[in-house]
Amino acid sequence: MDKELEHSFIEQMQKHQNIVHKVCRLYTNNQDAHNDLFQEITIQLWKAYPKFRGDSKFSTWMYRVGLNTAITLYRKSKRRIKTEAFDALQYKIKSTEYDDTEEQQLKLLYDAVHQLNDIEKALVFLYLEDKDYREISATLGISEVNARVKMNRVKKKLRTILNP
Amino acid sequence: MDELDLLKKDWNKDKAEYKNFSDKDLYPMLHRKSSSIVKTLFYISIAELIFWILINTIPYFVSDDYKAKLDSIYDNDVFMVSLTVLSYLIIILFIYLLYKSHKAISVIDDAKTLMRKILNTRKVIKWYVIYNLVMAFVSMIIGTFYGINHDPELSSHVASFSRMQMFSFSAFMVIFIGIFVLIIWLFYRLLYGILLKRLNKNYNELRKLEV
Repeated sequence: MDKELEHSFIEQMQKHQNIVHKVCRLYTNNQDAHNDLFQEITIQLWKAYPKFRGDSKFSTWMYRVGLNTAITLYRKSKRRIKTEAFDALQYKIKSTEYDDTEEQQLKLLYDAVHQLNDIEKALVFLYLEDKDYREISATLGISEVNARVKMNRVKKKLRTILNP
Repeated sequence: MDELDLLKKDWNKDKAEYKNFSDKDLYPMLHRKSSSIVKTLFYISIAELIFWILINTIPYFVSDDYKAKLDSIYDNDVFMVSLTVLSYLIIILFIYLLYKSHKAISVIDDAKTLMRKILNTRKVIKWYVIYNLVMAFVSMIIGTFYGINHDPELSSHVASFSRMQMFSFSAFMVIFIGIFVLIIWLFYRLLYGILLKRLNKNYNELRKLEV
């Protein structure tokens, strides 16, 4: 691949790498795994880059490739340690001891999101990124109605995790 | 306020939480090797093709006896020759199907389509393996009967079998071949089961939504 293409790709990555980081944040639990997934998403983006045409924004594209890599293509690294269950327990103990401050609630929320399955996380991610249901349904390959239904179920599930 | 909205507020705060990768970090990343499931599946399918082609051809090149026997069969049996040609055509067909299904996989598809295409590739390999197992089963049976009918030593041996002996002989053959096929089948279940467990789970999750 020529240098010019490489250069323009790196430029785009510099501008939008936060999107990839956010995907990694949802789908991994530690820094090593985060970097591993970041690497794989970057490779997949780069491999598909020649097909990228200016007709859609690079960032829009990143959501799709990023989620596809995290959900489907990426083979979990052996280094990844399962910590979410333990963390959740810790937070729950704390939350009864302290006031329900916003900070505390956020911690609990992030933890609850980590307990969702891959597809539910994808929905939450797109929702947090302010994507409308049309885009969510196009990214995941389900109908808009089903995306809405699923989103409501996810919200319910989160509530159950938070208030068992 | 909705829990998710609280999260959203925090999510979109522009925090410098992540290590920002510089050009120097990013350039080498482009040239590293991917470890994606598609790549693994691709290597496995190549290995499958080669494995079964070798299984079918090695005896011919290794054993002179076998070669001589086969040559004598081929010399005067149009049916066997056309069967062999057909089996090679089937292998070529599988290679073509595999190539096509691998080519179709694209990371810019939507999640469900991508998963479906990967599972399609796996299906092609599955049919290739089933085809080979069936062929192995059939050729073992044909080989046994051919041996009984054409090998004077073996046929006289079998002719002297009592009914009970004949029954045990057939039962033994069927059980032996059955176990052989079962072991290979279990091996494949294990191999693809482990590899595609997560993918299958996610695909079913998406499919469940559409019911």
